Amino acid sequence: MFFRIVRDSFARKPRRKALTAVALALGMAVATATLSVALDVGDRLAREFRSLGANLLVTPQADTLPLEIGGVDYRPVDAGAYLPEATLGKLRTIFWRNNVVGFAPLLEVPVSAWAVSSATGVARANAQGTLIGTWYQHSVAAPDGSAFTTGVASTNPWWRVEGRWFADGADECVVGSTLAQRTGVRVGDTLNILAGAGGKALRVTGILSTGDAEDDAILAPLAIAQELSGHPGQFRRLLVSVLTKPEDEFARRDPGTMTPTEYDRWYCTPYISSIAYQVQQVLPGVEARPIRRVAEGEGRILTRVSALMWLVTLAALVAAMLAVGATAATTVLERRTEVGLMKALGAGNALVAAFFLSEQVLLALGGGGAGYLLGIGLARLLGRSVFGIAPTERLILLPVVLGLAIAVALLGSLVPLRRAARFEPAPILRGE
Amino acid sequence: MFWRILWKLFRASRGRLAVALVAVTSGAAVCSALISLQLDAERKLTREFRALGANVVVAPPRAGGADAPLMGAVALDRISAAQTPQVVGAAPYLYVVARAPLGKAEQSVILTGTWLDQTLRLAPWWKVEGQWIATREDISRCLVGRNAARQLGLSPGGAVELRYADRSVKLAVAGIVSAGGTDDNQIFVNLAVAQQLAALEGRVSLAQLSVIGSPSEIEGFARQLSAALPGLEVRPVRQLAQAEGQLLTRIRGLIFATVALILVLTALCVLATMAALAMERRRDVGMMKALGGPMRRVLRLFLAEAATLGVLGGLLGYAAGVGLAQWMGQRVFGVAISPRLEVLPLTILLMFGVALAGAFPLRLLSAIRPAAILRGE
Repeated sequence: MFFRIVRDSFARKPRRKALTAVALALGMAVATATLSVALDVGDRLAREFRSLGANLLVTPQADTLPLEIGGVDYRPVDAGAYLPEATLGKLRTIFWRNNVVGFAPLLEVPVSAWAVSSATGVARANAQGTLIGTWYQHSVAAPDGSAFTTGVASTNPWWRVEGRWFADGADECVVGSTLAQRTGVRVGDTLNILAGAGGKALRVTGILSTGDAEDDAILAPLAIAQELSGHPGQFRRLLVSVLTKPEDEFARRDPGTMTPTEYDRWYCTPYISSIAYQVQQVLPGVEARPIRRVAEGEGRILTRVSALMWLVTLAALVAAMLAVGATAATTVLERRTEVGLMKALGAGNALVAAFFLSEQVLLALGGGGAGYLLGIGLARLLGRSVFGIAPTERLILLPVVLGLAIAVALLGSLVPLRRAARFEPAPILRGE
Repeated sequence: MFWRILWKLFRASRGRLAVALVAVTSGAAVCSALISLQLDAERKLTREFRALGANVVVAPPRAGGADAPLMGAVALDRISAAQTPQVVGAAPYLYVVARAPLGKAEQSVILTGTWLDQTLRLAPWWKVEGQWIATREDISRCLVGRNAARQLGLSPGGAVELRYADRSVKLAVAGIVSAGGTDDNQIFVNLAVAQQLAALEGRVSLAQLSVIGSPSEIEGFARQLSAALPGLEVRPVRQLAQAEGQLLTRIRGLIFATVALILVLTALCVLATMAALAMERRRDVGMMKALGGPMRRVLRLFLAEAATLGVLGGLLGYAAGVGLAQWMGQRVFGVAISPRLEVLPLTILLMFGVALAGAFPLRLLSAIRPAAILRGE
């Protein structure tokens, strides 16, 4: 009997039910979309922060003191220690390998250079300077056979080149903008380089502007710098850009004092310190240190911004729930006559409530399910327009959303139902 | 007459209208809170971004080579004069390649002369073990970078003798700086010490400033400063400007998308209520029409009702939104967000639009034929 009444109620007035279902579906779509985006927001923002560049610096453990000003090392080539280029593929074997956005080895060589104009063949002014060997987009073979393309394109994304970058295998270079201005070097010129271990003629493919000391240097493929400095297969410093989780109290503890369980948790969390530790494990003889300017600033801002995003989501959820709850309430409100009739026929308040609430639950399940599907599409749209990439679909959200839908539909109808309990059937049936 | 009927309409279906009002008010509250938050968040976040350190560099145009050009003290005075509340910190830097004794031999090390009282503002990520040097007058002590300390075997409380050409200076080590990056390899002293050692009185290599502002404001600040400092290059640090710009765009995008979603949802809920209301009022409308009321006038009545709903909801929502924004600001930034009056008209306007859009189903009423209604069909 009970189920027949519920079924009839759905069959007889489908339009009215549709209204609540649509409101529920839309509310739940908004909930699904904002929650999916919010669950991804930490990852997305961490990735945005990688535009700040490298947050980990790898140097030889037994190095002499670098004479570094503004990111360029001015030590002579025979001073200090070097690291082997061949082992870099191992960075793709650490526990958090997929968090490594990119890395770029650097090798500075003091050189003297003079340019020959491509148009006239006349030599331009010569200059003393630093040649920085690095990768732009270099394919690194990982031990498992896969290849990973990386270089300064991912560790220093704010560097801009007028013209084009050098090809990693060619005798090409890009020239810093102040150096270019000073010497009159243009794209297309040939640059004759002379260093301690030999000379080389490089074609200038672009003018680099970084806003830093590199503006006064020449950038060339790592292999050329290695040849010029007489250190084949070696480099001095490695910049690594990794996705990390902001450091908390736990991350600041010394891993040496942790219990084995704590150590495992620390090791398996992408803190900058645990990733630095893992880098030191795979590359022998190195010291990996967080660049605290980037790592710490990022952590602080990231915590703030994620909190902001979560609050925005929460507010959106509350607004959606209130709006949906209000709509659910109207449908109960308008069925006063029905309530009156049921009561006149001898139904108690409890039965009336059970009848209405089971109807709302059914509507919530249908509306919530539809809303989840709709919300996934909406989340994709939202994620793409805000972050340029769709958030991951999470099935865990389905029960959450269905639960929310039921809660909202029930809460929305509780207030009008309590009022309905006070109705006297007679005046309602008389149409008053 | 118009107003009297309107009043009666409100009274007659106050339950249903209250429900619509809840939807409009909650939508308005969240929208106004988010808009206030968005306006303030950018300003607050640009302040947070100062955790990343200096974002404007003043330097002489590079002449190249090993001997970098220096700028004079006049520029420093001008930079100090340009200090506005926007400027969190500013300090000159003089880099000198000095020599320190290492056993019997010597080790080259970069000596950085700066205003150490400003350094914590420009480099808040520094961790110092030992003592900090808090004034720029202290010329007897130095701070040593972690790597430099390890290489030279220095610890807080020790002393180091630095040589440059035929001059030398003996300094007490106040603390060891752990900064991660280039700073770990350097020794830091107050500007006067480095200038005396290198015999470069009144000269510095460059100056760094940490300035609060959006990327375009920083750009403007740099231009202004550049006009006051002829012959010097003033450039925003692009690494920060780019990251900051991108992040602010993302946040703005997300907040606007959320506001748009909530507005649409609110409109749909008002729509649902209004559709139900229209069905319920078929009889009233039929009666009005039968009595000769033109459809336009009847519709105007209902639209006025919806508009009132929107304006009222906007007002109430704004009040609730002010509280919500303050709470959110407190949670995220630890500072309450000041209510903004310009959000009030915006909220009311938005809700007015939403309520009118929600009144769309009322057009069904014009299809009502009075005779059928009066017959009781």
